[in-house]
Amino acid sequence: MGNFGQLMDGFAVALTAHHVMIMAVGVLLGLVVGVLPGLGAPNGVSLLLPLTFTMDPISAIILLTSMYWGALFGGSTTSILFNIPGEPSSVATTFDGYPLARQGQAVRALTLAFTSAGIGALTGVIVITLLSSWVANFAMRFGAAEYFAVYFMAFASFIGMAGGSPFKTLVSMMLGFAAATVGIDTISGESRLTFEIDELIGGISFLIAVIGLFGLGELLLTMEEGLKFEGVKAKLDMRTILRTVAEVPRYWVTLVRSALIGCWMGITPGGPTAASFMSYALGRRFSRRGRNFGKGEPEGIVAPETADHSAGSCALLPMLALGIPGSATAAVMMGGLMIWGLSPGPMLFSTRPDFVWGLIASMYMGNLIAVVLVLATVPLFAYILRAPFTVVGPMITIVCVIGAYTVANHVFDIWLALAFGIVGYVFKKLDYPLAPFVLAMVLGDKAEDAFRQAMLTSDGSPAIFFSNALVSTMMGLGILLLCLPLITVLFKGGLFGRPAAGDAEAHGRSA
Amino acid sequence: MPKHALTAFALTLSVVVPTAALAEWKPNRPVEFVAAAGPGGGTDTFARVVQSALSKNELLTTPIIVSNKSGGSGAETFIYAKSNKGDPYKLYFGTQDAYVLPLANKLSYSQKDLTPVAAMVFDPFILWVNPKTSGIEDVKGFIAKAKENPGQLKLGGAKAKEADETLMTLIEHKTGVDLTYIPYKSGSEAAIQVAGGHITANVNNPSESVEQWKAGVQKPLCVFESERLADKTVIADGMSWNDVPTCVEAGIDVKTFAQPRTIWAAADIPPEALAYYTELFTKAAGTPEFKGYQERGAQIPRLLTGDAFKDFIKQHEATYAEIYKANGWLRAEQ
Amino acid sequence: MDISRNTMEIATACATALVGGIVCYGASLNGISWNESGPQPGYFPFYIGALIIFGSAATILQTVLRRASTSDVFIDGERLRTIVAFFLPIVVMVAISAWLGLYIGMALYTFYAMRMAAGFRTATSLLTAAIVVAVNFVIFEKIFMVPLLKGPILEYFGIY
Repeated sequence: MGNFGQLMDGFAVALTAHHVMIMAVGVLLGLVVGVLPGLGAPNGVSLLLPLTFTMDPISAIILLTSMYWGALFGGSTTSILFNIPGEPSSVATTFDGYPLARQGQAVRALTLAFTSAGIGALTGVIVITLLSSWVANFAMRFGAAEYFAVYFMAFASFIGMAGGSPFKTLVSMMLGFAAATVGIDTISGESRLTFEIDELIGGISFLIAVIGLFGLGELLLTMEEGLKFEGVKAKLDMRTILRTVAEVPRYWVTLVRSALIGCWMGITPGGPTAASFMSYALGRRFSRRGRNFGKGEPEGIVAPETADHSAGSCALLPMLALGIPGSATAAVMMGGLMIWGLSPGPMLFSTRPDFVWGLIASMYMGNLIAVVLVLATVPLFAYILRAPFTVVGPMITIVCVIGAYTVANHVFDIWLALAFGIVGYVFKKLDYPLAPFVLAMVLGDKAEDAFRQAMLTSDGSPAIFFSNALVSTMMGLGILLLCLPLITVLFKGGLFGRPAAGDAEAHGRSA
Repeated sequence: MPKHALTAFALTLSVVVPTAALAEWKPNRPVEFVAAAGPGGGTDTFARVVQSALSKNELLTTPIIVSNKSGGSGAETFIYAKSNKGDPYKLYFGTQDAYVLPLANKLSYSQKDLTPVAAMVFDPFILWVNPKTSGIEDVKGFIAKAKENPGQLKLGGAKAKEADETLMTLIEHKTGVDLTYIPYKSGSEAAIQVAGGHITANVNNPSESVEQWKAGVQKPLCVFESERLADKTVIADGMSWNDVPTCVEAGIDVKTFAQPRTIWAAADIPPEALAYYTELFTKAAGTPEFKGYQERGAQIPRLLTGDAFKDFIKQHEATYAEIYKANGWLRAEQ
Repeated sequence: MDISRNTMEIATACATALVGGIVCYGASLNGISWNESGPQPGYFPFYIGALIIFGSAATILQTVLRRASTSDVFIDGERLRTIVAFFLPIVVMVAISAWLGLYIGMALYTFYAMRMAAGFRTATSLLTAAIVVAVNFVIFEKIFMVPLLKGPILEYFGIY
């Protein structure tokens, strides 16, 4: 087995004291970046890039990838504790992580997230190790139609998920699409929905929407309910952490399902954010405990976290092997590769095996270090929760405001985030689901681009979506996922028949 | 004004004594490089290579911060420049987009809001196909195939109504064929689509497709330059960049279509600052880091500053305006 | 001054419908038909806008038809005051930040929140504000080299 031998060589490269130290530093910096909502992993990695100019490429990529792992872990922390996703890909973690934390089980929620994330990341790396050459060829088979099919599957799995009024779900999702449309259209080069406002020409950043809808919106809700932060009761002892780690293997079905979804979305162009949503939605539908999702169900944390991290790891493979980045962070790293004098592409594996396998080996190590370090921060965060809300609230506000500014250094973005905050508050009180909005905003413009590229390729014939086995299978699965809930709803008695009050309770203000 | 005091302070600290009388200006605080492309894009790499060349060789000792403003195909960067009029601590990195974008779109900035600093290097364009899936081996085959199936041949590139699509319309005009353009987010994405056999051809910079060439899934047909590229190192199939014929030789009468990598400052910066940066980037172009970047990208080393750069802009803009007019892409005059 | 849930439902639906209308109008500027090479740039946005209007109208209809819950309160006067008292200072902070820079904005806001809202002693509040500014300055300007908005005052003192 050639890959295994090369991996061993890789470990010989990665396991020097110097490199392990670099990993630890990278992970720590990543944690800070991940916790701050405006500075995501892509920003963090590009901020570190200048430091790597004087390093050798292997140390440099180890520093950057370790920072990435750290940021992925850090992003989940604020999702769970304050309902502010530090990273776009940890939005789905808020759905159950935050409710669980509010029930006084913050430590359990964090430990669950970190442990399953670690398992997801390791799965991703194992997939890379075993399948690297196959994956590169497979990814080549993705044309515009296949891209669209991937996005379609992600939407389809999610669409039936939201409870409550179908009309509110519709409005929420379409508003997300509309927000994603703002800016210059890739296909025609025309500006859309900008109304000649300079600030809108760059589009509406997804991070701004998330900071407002989730972070500020939640603050307003908490404020209204009387300044209470129920994480106060968070008990803090090593035993809770260990017991939770031991609890994780019980969710093995969810783990396997989510890891598979994650790897799939990481290799195909879906990316970590879509992976975590899809995994959450499918978990909700197929898990036996699916009806508890949204109310602090452990599996509702395990599912998105596992998928997020396995997708994050797998997304590095298309970057190395093809030069197409599977995520925004991978795009920055690819820029780094070129500055260090390496060309990502099919030949990198044969021209620089020491680099590629050293990197892959460092991914095993980096993730292990990240899990250990991040578990060590749990007591610190639990301590923050003990502070009174009158202190924590303004601090979170400041973090949100700075976060909104750092996304693109626009003051306009801060105002936009405040507006989204009010929208988030009102929508939550009126039981408009926010998840469809977020998903539509992440994937909306990509799906539209892929659709129109496919149409251009086929001269306007929709038959392209069923032109080969790969794309037909994906479209077929998507349609099946789409129809499943509709059929269930029809059998249960129509759209208008259901009492809305019951839904509101079932879906919960907590979601 | 404390600003002057600080400048004087920084000057006394400076080790290198500037020789030219005009170069008495020196940045005394972090300089921001704003790239008109997302992370990993061509302009972003350009800005970061310059950053590394300057800091590694200690040509610029104050910190350099690279940020990305890729919104609106990069227009965001130049609108930002407009709002920082007279600020000599911010430089803007782009291509011809700085003066071509306002041709097609109604934007709130114009060339008057920018001070041209330098064009550091030129990226040539190459026409690529996948020889295995398309059966095309040379330009003749390409034109023959395009004539057989008018409008059926798909050519990919980065973004709409920018360099790549402009070049495609030039090919159409000069050869009389009818192609269909498919825009992607980046040139590398289009290259992968060609390599995977989803579309027939693409036009992009050498560096974006060289790895696919080595892997045998892409082949360069011709380069849109008046002379062949200089590099004679064999890359793949026993060919070097120098063995790729010019498009004129091969039968497409497009003489030169290179993309300048440009650096701008805001309008009304002090002339001393402009002189300082002009000298700085001239030095940067000679560093080994920058030379390495040129070689890897098979770029054309051609540094333009001052009036030469201004003349080039005028002439290049006019060329684009003419093509845009022919394509009906010029924005409606207000 | 209570706001009933029904009022809020209808007001929100009207607002979303208005957004839908704006989207439709904006899309119509880009062309909304489907020609031989697939949809025009405004095609999808137009139907997105239309669906927003449809969804909003259906929500209004549902609210009007379901009279049972008329008595539900969206927010009562006291809670509304709490929310405004929390949100207004944030708006003021952002306005000050836009003018004088983020560091001054966050310092004033922290001091206000500690002193007025949480009722700490003046000295404690001042110290907290100083710590918040210092921590942010170190993280953003020093560690990650992300320049936050400084504004004219800091610039005058030579802090860029």
